[in-house]
Amino acid sequence: MKKSRADIRKKVFSNSRIIVLILMCIYLTAATNGKFFTYSNFVSIMYSISLTGIMICGATFPVLLGGIDRTVSGNAAVCGAMAATVALYFNQTDIGAILALLCGTACGVLSGFFHGIVLSRFAIPAFLLTLATNEVLYGIVQFITGNQLINVLNCELMNQIGQSRFLGIPIPVYILLISFVGCYILLTHTVYGRQIYAVGGNRQAAELSGIPARRVIIIAYTISGFMGALSGFLLSCMNRQASAAQAQGYENDVLAAIVVGGISLRGGEGTLQGALLGAILIGVMTNGLRLLGIDSIYHNLIKGVIIIIAIAWDMLSAASKSGTTKNPLAGLFTRKKLREG
Amino acid sequence: MDKAILLEMNNIEKIFAHVQALDRVNFQVRRGEVHTLLGENGAGKSTLIKILTGVYPKDGGQIFMEGREVNIASREDAAALGISVIFQELSLIPTLCVYQNIMLGKEFSRFGFVQAKKEKKKIADLIEYYGFSLGVNDIVETLSVAQMQMVEILKALAADAKLIIMDEPTASLSSHESKLLFSIIDQLRERGVSIIYISHRLEEVFKLSDRITILRDGKIAGVVEKNQINPSEIIKMMIGKSVSEATASRMLRQSEEETVLSIQHLCCLGAYEDVSLEVKRGEVLVLTGLVGSGRTELIRAIYGADPYDSGKIELEGKPYQPQIKKAVAEGFGLIPEDRRTQGLSPLLSVTGNVALTNYDKISSKGFVSKAREEELGRHAVRLVDLRPPNPNVLAGNLSGGNQQKVVLGKWLTRNLKVLLIDEPTVGIDIGAKDEIYQIIETLSQNGVAVLMVSSDIAEVLRVAHRIIVMREGKIAKEFHTGIVTQEDILMASSGLDTEGEV
Repeated sequence: MKKSRADIRKKVFSNSRIIVLILMCIYLTAATNGKFFTYSNFVSIMYSISLTGIMICGATFPVLLGGIDRTVSGNAAVCGAMAATVALYFNQTDIGAILALLCGTACGVLSGFFHGIVLSRFAIPAFLLTLATNEVLYGIVQFITGNQLINVLNCELMNQIGQSRFLGIPIPVYILLISFVGCYILLTHTVYGRQIYAVGGNRQAAELSGIPARRVIIIAYTISGFMGALSGFLLSCMNRQASAAQAQGYENDVLAAIVVGGISLRGGEGTLQGALLGAILIGVMTNGLRLLGIDSIYHNLIKGVIIIIAIAWDMLSAASKSGTTKNPLAGLFTRKKLREG
Repeated sequence: MDKAILLEMNNIEKIFAHVQALDRVNFQVRRGEVHTLLGENGAGKSTLIKILTGVYPKDGGQIFMEGREVNIASREDAAALGISVIFQELSLIPTLCVYQNIMLGKEFSRFGFVQAKKEKKKIADLIEYYGFSLGVNDIVETLSVAQMQMVEILKALAADAKLIIMDEPTASLSSHESKLLFSIIDQLRERGVSIIYISHRLEEVFKLSDRITILRDGKIAGVVEKNQINPSEIIKMMIGKSVSEATASRMLRQSEEETVLSIQHLCCLGAYEDVSLEVKRGEVLVLTGLVGSGRTELIRAIYGADPYDSGKIELEGKPYQPQIKKAVAEGFGLIPEDRRTQGLSPLLSVTGNVALTNYDKISSKGFVSKAREEELGRHAVRLVDLRPPNPNVLAGNLSGGNQQKVVLGKWLTRNLKVLLIDEPTVGIDIGAKDEIYQIIETLSQNGVAVLMVSSDIAEVLRVAHRIIVMREGKIAKEFHTGIVTQEDILMASSGLDTEGEV
């Protein structure tokens, strides 16, 4: 079926996030005398979200299953430390860089696989498990690095990945785009993608329909682990070093973008393009705050408020969809009334 | 004992959208009496109770409590008059202890501080007075289900309940726990508390009740005193003689086709034991009996959703080890007990739901063909006659009947050998019910072996070719030839057909 132009227009305007993004861009362009609306500024926004963006491509999978993966940053740190160690071991040659990438991402895959196995088999809240294991991963990183920076200054291939540009656009942005397209196709055009939404929406029904729910969950966390590690490898390439605190706090940015992007934390609902849009929204906002000359001490505050608004939005739309109450706040009052009676 | 009338309901009427749910119903409860309300599903029992507890307003008639006319407009009104309901799903807070649960919402307090000592004393006295085996400080989640019911009952008593309504209280109890409950009911009766008891288990009803009021089609079919109880008379009153023979009975037929599914000596501890049965090609075999007789567990085990302890399953004469994925590939289908939690993915469209069981057909090398998927959705919508015929609507937004059609559509689009169905028409309107029966009929004509669980006797008689009645995990009786009536099935499922067991 071919989509008419009216269809696309309707789709764009029914997506409140795109409207917010456009309004924000118009406002920033006007407020900064056009400084915002330049090609180089857009490239720099994309560059600034490339690492979290790659993580988002993976971390969206567990969230769609009603889980969560807070170890994306830990995976990035382990991968960075591992990759730097391997690269140094092979005297920073090109082969060494490739082996560094393989060993580093293998750590992420292993970590994700472990989380998948545990979370698919036991009814542990994913939030708690990954909160704890993220600490464990950073512990491992401190062990590998000896709590010191590992400098990889002369690895030609890694430097190129981290620093060079192709057609004026940094390599990490390309990697983000490739990751996005790959994961997008996986989610929307494959059986596995359908199974993710089925298990996330109602695991019991999915299992009774013959869908291997456990396998679906294990693969999801493995993808998330791989993407986190890939992002960590790029971070090491960009910084020419691996640190014990590498990527710390990224997991919060990733989850913020996913929530702002409209993926339901209850699972089964939301799109990858939505999550990436969430990241772009936050990226544009951070960039705009800087261009407007707002002191960086306010940035976290503003970001937090935006996330709260997004969560409230998510709850409101869920409530109106279920048709029980139009407004979740209305529930508060009826409950209070019952207690009085 | 004072046998004065406690509650009197006169000429109660209730009309739902032109359907007379209650028609001039008179109902009386004496002080210190266990009075059972009996009737088939839809006879009006729960409507009557809901009027008594202020959930529904009555459309006519009067209610007298202790001789005084009262107006009950809410649950609070009912509670103030001393009418309490013990709900089937217990309304306790599992992490709090017994006395905290009982005093919840009516705590003794002074200057905002709870007087725990005084509360505990009051509850301990109550427990002693009624002779319950319960400690005031026990945490509720550590209690057995029967003890939780005691807490519920105490909650009612602490609020000075004179009349306690128990709706199927033994449905989730073991036989030992049921006995405990019966002794509690005896103690309540001795101390002058009246009880309205609702249960489908005729055995216990006959044992327990002082009087039985039988409702049928919203009218009183009879009131029976304890010493006049005659089981077959009461069953006749429940069913009524006005029902035409066509729906009240069914001519069974034994199939001559080859056996598709055969089960030998299947056992699962605590659910069912030594169950053997065969389903033939194109046959509709219905498992009936009371809730909790092990039927659901049995068909889930056949499908591979639950394990079993011992026994053998054969599919088309070959040994078969159940496992869900294999079951789907071999041509099994399952319409589960609860379509909302087990049958459907409410966030997916109709097409998305139908696709759940059909990925092998609509994909190649792991990639889904959008065109084939949409074709599948449209095909399913036609097969089950979904109305409106829109395959793109979210399954969660459909009516109950349409949702069940979608669950059927998941399997009708496959080449089925065996369809396992569990209570397919619960909560579905009559029109959609009939369509679902027709779909089952068509399936059987196409050679699918259907094994269906149903507690709705009218439904059993409508679709069954053969009937097996289960009781407490065992096959109690099989009806395979001749005419079977509602009465036969009711007698077999409550255990009244076998002399001496009553």
